[in-house]
Amino acid sequence: MEFQGTASGSVNSANLHHGGQGPRELLQLVSFHIGDEEFGLDILRVQEIIRIQDLTRVPNSPDFVDGVINLRGKVIPVIALRKRFGLEQLAHDKQTRIVVMEAKGTVVGFIVDSVSEVLRIPADTVEPPPRLGKVEREYVSGVGKLDNRLLILLDVDRLMSDSEELGSMMAS
Amino acid sequence: MDNDLSQDPTLVQEFLVESEELLQGMDQDMVSLESAPSDADLLNRIFRAIHTIKGTSGFLGFEPVVRLSHRAEDVLNSLRKGEIQLTQRMMDALLNVRDQLGWMLADIRAGGLKTYDIDALIAELELVQKPGESASARSAAPTAATLAVSTAASAPPVEEPASDHVAPHPTDSSPPGQQQPQAGDSGAQTMRVDVRKLDELINLIGELVLERNRLMRLASDLNLGRLSKEALDSAFSQSTARLSFITEELQAAGLRTRMVPIDAVFRKFPRLVRDVARSLQKEVELVVRGQDTEIDKTMVELIGDPLVHLVRNSLDHGLELPGARESAGKSRQGTIRLEARQEGDQIVISVADDGAGIDPQRVLRKAIEKGLVTAERGRILSSREILDFIFLPGFSTVEKATDLSGRGVGMDVVSSNLRRMNGTIELDSLPGKGTTVLLHLPLTLAIMPVLLVQVADEIYGLPLRSVLETTQVRSDEVHRMEGYEVLRLRGRTLPLLRLAQIFATQVRTGEDLEQKVVVLAIGDKRVALLVDHLVGQESTVIKPLGSYLHNCSSIAGATISGDGRVRLVLDPAGLLATAHGLSRQETIQ
Repeated sequence: MEFQGTASGSVNSANLHHGGQGPRELLQLVSFHIGDEEFGLDILRVQEIIRIQDLTRVPNSPDFVDGVINLRGKVIPVIALRKRFGLEQLAHDKQTRIVVMEAKGTVVGFIVDSVSEVLRIPADTVEPPPRLGKVEREYVSGVGKLDNRLLILLDVDRLMSDSEELGSMMAS
Repeated sequence: MDNDLSQDPTLVQEFLVESEELLQGMDQDMVSLESAPSDADLLNRIFRAIHTIKGTSGFLGFEPVVRLSHRAEDVLNSLRKGEIQLTQRMMDALLNVRDQLGWMLADIRAGGLKTYDIDALIAELELVQKPGESASARSAAPTAATLAVSTAASAPPVEEPASDHVAPHPTDSSPPGQQQPQAGDSGAQTMRVDVRKLDELINLIGELVLERNRLMRLASDLNLGRLSKEALDSAFSQSTARLSFITEELQAAGLRTRMVPIDAVFRKFPRLVRDVARSLQKEVELVVRGQDTEIDKTMVELIGDPLVHLVRNSLDHGLELPGARESAGKSRQGTIRLEARQEGDQIVISVADDGAGIDPQRVLRKAIEKGLVTAERGRILSSREILDFIFLPGFSTVEKATDLSGRGVGMDVVSSNLRRMNGTIELDSLPGKGTTVLLHLPLTLAIMPVLLVQVADEIYGLPLRSVLETTQVRSDEVHRMEGYEVLRLRGRTLPLLRLAQIFATQVRTGEDLEQKVVVLAIGDKRVALLVDHLVGQESTVIKPLGSYLHNCSSIAGATISGDGRVRLVLDPAGLLATAHGLSRQETIQ
């Protein structure tokens, strides 16, 4: 009895019903929206999600760096993903969030239109990226399916390292 | 290494810190001993240092260290008893021992002792200890003897330290023995703090606790409705005042624990000067002043290499050979003065030599040759401005690169290191008389008083250190000269920079309004910076902007303002460079 109780609550066993042999690998994602599209980020790469706050503009900085913010005493750069994807800028509203990510010791915030939820999708439903806009395709690691939704999975490392390279290129 | 104690990290760490300190002290003592060979105090001090190292390393089971220090101790003991006389050869052998010990300690710090071929060095020590041998060695040419020692003792890193100078970059070029602390930064960094400084800190923390108690009582009184508005007002403002006082004191006391005497940097120079002077066959006296001046621990690590480079430059290019000095009517022996002093909230370090000085015309020729300046423009430059070319990357006046310097990667590295520390560098030289290099450093890297200025709706901090004065100007006081805007201020013409223009902020309307000008000093340059408003002063803690924005040269860093927003602190030198870049673009267009 006890065994059943715990097992039905766990993710892996729930998965067993679908997968047949052995637990399927699950991806845990944070999903967010930019425009009409829904994106997914590996949850382990996301440090935290905060509400939009006052940005301080950095003069002569690369165009897509929107500014810097104070994250509990640490100064981190914030990048507008809309600009990064070549979309028009929107005014920030109540839904606007900053997704704070960390890679190789660098902490960066990305502004997104809204953050929706934490999702689990089986890794084998993720397909290689289809033809998308040129800018987007560079940062897309795959497309995940969840019921009727399409989730564009972003490659955090590419997103961050590219930004960094671009940053030093444009500033020099 | 069968002894378990050598695996105890605390014991080993203590041993390393103590021994490294002893070795550094030995450097100085040994060089002094050379000029005063019969000084019993010096001898005793060196003997005790070696003895302590031998004792502790024996206890910890560092066998090669024991073997080597034991032999050196024997030699020193005989010297102490007057059985033998100090010779050049003996001194070289002892200095080699000191270096070898330094490398061994560095290896211990990096993980463990390696195998060393120290037999030759030990044989040399035994040889110099024999009274007859040392007497005959005395008459032998000292340079030949040095070579014999360094080649004979062929443990991998044992070479005459001068050979390290080949490395062109200053960070690579200090003798390996001195790099121990950085070499093994795998362990936690530690520093020694004067107990009095800690006591001061604890006292202030006690005050802070008392003030907290007062505030808590105030809060509970307020909750219980026992306080009138007037009583609350006065109690609250008193408490705030005290709290602000304690915080400031605490901040200062906390910083003071990070301060160490600059002696930690200066200490290695007697040995360095001695070795380099010998390899160049120059006669040099090193005068060190102001060793007690305290600087921030971080600064100690950052300033070491630039100073080594400057002193080496003086030795190599500044000072002439004894013969040349005599024919120029100077004493055979050159002098290098290394001085530190505190001036207000700055530390000033100077490296001065009484050598040949720098000929501005030669510098100018080189600058024109390298396309750094046009010949026409060169004619109107002052000699001070010409000397500034030395700090540009890739500049070197020495026709033939020696193994010491002259590769053109020197001074620009020094000046960029200094910029990293928010410091400035000035060079003054009189041909035939000598060269003086002045380094201005902030007292601490952590806290910086800034002047807050506003352009449009943005507020920026300017390091107060660079602010000479603030004043008001009317727009008709601004003139144009050769395409640049200038401001005449009390008979002096200053280039004028508009912050709003550099930072492309929204331009304010009402141009004819009186505007505020901040006069900035960047090294010996003066620049007027036009802003909209002066907001006030603040002590700030500077935080780095992170790797994305490290190329924004006009920004030194960021601070958090009282309302939690990020406020940018400007780098005056970078601002000047950016502005020059902008105006150059404009002229091209």
